[in-house]
Amino acid sequence: MKKPDTAFHIEVIDVKGTLSDPDKTLLESLEAADVQIHYHCREGYCGACRTKLIAGEVDYTTDPLAYIDDDEILPCCCIALTDLKIKVPL
Amino acid sequence: MKYTTFNQQSVNPLVEPMFFGNPVNVARYDQQRHAIFEKLIEKQISFFWRPEEVDVSRDRVDFQKLTEAEQHIFISNLKYQTLLDSVQGRSPNIAFLPIISLPELETWVETWSFFETIHSRSYTHILRNLFSDPSDIFKDIVVNEEIKRRASDISGYYDELIFLTQLWQTQGEGVHTVDGETYTVSLRELKKKLYLCMNSVNALEAIRFYVSFACTFAFAERELMEGNSKIIRLIARDENLHLTSTQHILNLWAKGKDDPEMAEIAEECKEQARDIFLSAVEQEKQWAEYLFQNGSMIGLNKEILCQYVEYIAHQRMSAIGLDSGFDVKSNPLPWMNNYLNSDNVQVAPQESEISSYLVGQIDSSVSEDDFADFEL
Repeated sequence: MKKPDTAFHIEVIDVKGTLSDPDKTLLESLEAADVQIHYHCREGYCGACRTKLIAGEVDYTTDPLAYIDDDEILPCCCIALTDLKIKVPL
Repeated sequence: MKYTTFNQQSVNPLVEPMFFGNPVNVARYDQQRHAIFEKLIEKQISFFWRPEEVDVSRDRVDFQKLTEAEQHIFISNLKYQTLLDSVQGRSPNIAFLPIISLPELETWVETWSFFETIHSRSYTHILRNLFSDPSDIFKDIVVNEEIKRRASDISGYYDELIFLTQLWQTQGEGVHTVDGETYTVSLRELKKKLYLCMNSVNALEAIRFYVSFACTFAFAERELMEGNSKIIRLIARDENLHLTSTQHILNLWAKGKDDPEMAEIAEECKEQARDIFLSAVEQEKQWAEYLFQNGSMIGLNKEILCQYVEYIAHQRMSAIGLDSGFDVKSNPLPWMNNYLNSDNVQVAPQESEISSYLVGQIDSSVSEDDFADFEL
């Protein structure tokens, strides 16, 4: 896994913009910024945190097992590789 | 088509559909048409646990302290969980194995069912600790009207699929009369039954189980029945995987990534699938009414549980592309997440109340220094 050492800008549509923390998963970065996001297992197998990825690229720290569509990501087990634009279910 | 336990014809499992293709012959896992099922098998096996590992002896004391209304909630909930796992411990095997065409999916279903039998064994473990003779509890499961009503809805879709598969495998397609009743058997009809059955299984794992988990964890939130909650936490972790697998199956069909005919059926039967979920929601709400008929408990009542049913139904239905029509955006039981978070499940056995844990791993990295004090 390519681990970036810089923070990237994450734009959460209709919510706010924040920065990713390279040492945290995307879910943890979003939680640190007070973005409300559903979660259960935090390990990629339940799919509760399913989020639409509009633009950007992520890499998985754990192989995601839950079903995700081609344009969706699981923030609980991925990190940002570029600036991201995402849409969380409100 | 007659079922064979070892199909002697050469088949390429990389091009078979999940269901209703050629029967599986060689159980090989080095290649998969749908790699997800292989990954799920590995994950599920890594979750292995035994009910006896969890000490439930303190629950007996807690149980005596509960009010009568709370005892009713606790025991009814446990009966319902016992029913769900009694069904799930056998039905996927009996209904799905005879029609599966991929080795990885076949083994996934067997692994899945096996874990449901562990769950069933844990209910016996819990009940044996609470009562010197738990027979009355078990006997009531087939007599209690509230539970029976649920049971017939849960097992109905399985039973229909199983019966039609039996007719198809023994008599083939066509119109058959059994005990004076006429049945039209066609592959298309069978696939429809399979599609509806899979939705009903998904609703069971996605909604029904979670309602029962909420009741269990509500006791744990008050630091009561904690042994029981520890077991249910392990069960919830397994159920989450099972739920993921049926979501994958339904989505693979709907997105046309498996059998193209199943994609048509998914479109055609979408409303029926939606109704299966909505009627599960209704039943769970009625169940909440029954649970709290003698009074609520601190932290949980009928209204909150009903809101939770709608919340979880909305999440689960949208995961498989169904519109729920419910408008519960935030989780009415936020503490549920603490019990469903895998970090809080997977603790080191010696650090919790687990009374036995497996030892005996082998260290395969041996350096030359390890033999320093050896003399021949």
